[in-house]
Amino acid sequence: MVMAFVAAAIAMLVAMIPPAIVLCRGELAGSVVAYEFIASVLVMVLALLAEGFKRPAEFEFPVLMAVLLYGSSLVFIRVLERWL
Amino acid sequence: MIVKEVFSDILLGLAVLIVLTSAIGVLVMRDAYQKLHFVSPAGLVAPALVALAVMVQHGVYENTGETFLALFFMIIAGPLISHATIRAMRVREKGHWRPQRGGKAPAGEKEQ
Repeated sequence: MVMAFVAAAIAMLVAMIPPAIVLCRGELAGSVVAYEFIASVLVMVLALLAEGFKRPAEFEFPVLMAVLLYGSSLVFIRVLERWL
Repeated sequence: MIVKEVFSDILLGLAVLIVLTSAIGVLVMRDAYQKLHFVSPAGLVAPALVALAVMVQHGVYENTGETFLALFFMIIAGPLISHATIRAMRVREKGHWRPQRGGKAPAGEKEQ
């Protein structure tokens, strides 16, 4: 039961590698898209780890990350649009 | 109890499958417009499956509520961010986001 959530979190962390390659080596617009992908997956990873390790207090991280994902992505997008 | 665990595992497996295939899609697609199509499944469908897996495992309680709250924020943010990203990319390419001369203006908008 616990292992399933942790295994899913590990699999999702592995899934971050392809977008991380795009983030580091791709063109600018592609890097922003890869950042959005990684941030979305990170929300799930935080929720899965909190559930997997039975830490109820840590369920606040995915909520915070989901809110920050919105703000930070918009900042990157505006910078991309105006200055880069 | 076993049925719950199996159902939860299936939901988690589906979420992982969606994220892995979307990650490969982000890697292999040519430009950012095509890559952006693969963010939505990982940003909307997979979190919904994870939230359902948590709910199946424990029923309705505090942690399930917080997981669904995160899902709620992602459902609101996902389409807005996708739209803003496409708009930013078009502004970078064309200098503006409006349709070109001769193109059809969106409904309710004056063509320039």
